[in-house]
Amino acid sequence: MAEPSTASVRSFDDEALPHLDALYRVALRLTGDPAQAEDLVQDTMLKAYRSWRQYRAGTNAKGWLLTILRNTFINSYRRRKLEPVAMDLEAIEPHALYRAVETADPEGNFFGQLVDEKVLEAVDALPTDFREVLVLSDMEGLPYAEIADTLGVPVGTVKSRLFRARRLLQAQLYAYAVEMGYIKPREPQDG
Amino acid sequence: MDESMDCGEAEARLQDYLKRELTPELAAEVRDHLVRCRGCFGHAQFEETLLQLLEARARRETCPGALRERICALLRAEADQN
Repeated sequence: MAEPSTASVRSFDDEALPHLDALYRVALRLTGDPAQAEDLVQDTMLKAYRSWRQYRAGTNAKGWLLTILRNTFINSYRRRKLEPVAMDLEAIEPHALYRAVETADPEGNFFGQLVDEKVLEAVDALPTDFREVLVLSDMEGLPYAEIADTLGVPVGTVKSRLFRARRLLQAQLYAYAVEMGYIKPREPQDG
Repeated sequence: MDESMDCGEAEARLQDYLKRELTPELAAEVRDHLVRCRGCFGHAQFEETLLQLLEARARRETCPGALRERICALLRAEADQN
């Protein structure tokens, strides 16, 4: 039985190490905790190394690694924080944030005022199914097909989860912006 | 045959358009609508800005150096065992 040789180690390093940043970022968003994220990335890399021979050269290393990371997370990690309360998606007006910003902020200062830590908080507050799609798509730039492979769901599911994730994210940012006084809540018109 | 895309359809395809997941033909139709419709153009710009914000925020996070070193050492140890 040929074990990974020095040569294969080198090629594992070449293929896998460039993706450490992406793996760490996704791990951080999945676990919500830097220490757990580090453990998850380390476990992922060891598992990947041990199954390196199953990896076929030419396949997408980033997608392969993310799949291992995500499966490891599902099987062995529990998000310590409470899962966010399920939100009633139908109650959220589509694109409420855009409509509100359009009228209240014609100068377009909204994004300048939006502290990006708040954006991350809003991402972290999304339910896991939505959060992982949004992270892989909007933060890591994976195409729908790769996300579908990583999560083991059809492309249509990726698209609809992403749509809902964005809607939820915008609903949170809208609430935050109203709270901070960046935009005014929509009220009934009064002459 | 020459029906151009309306706001409803453009909005429905906006996500795929911004993710560059449309066929070139459909992408061109959405683009045509956006340049003609100020409301949809504004909406598309808004969504794109939010996307850029998310991506830029994500990129600021990198794998800590100590973790990288630990992983490299573990991989070497694994290799040495075999």
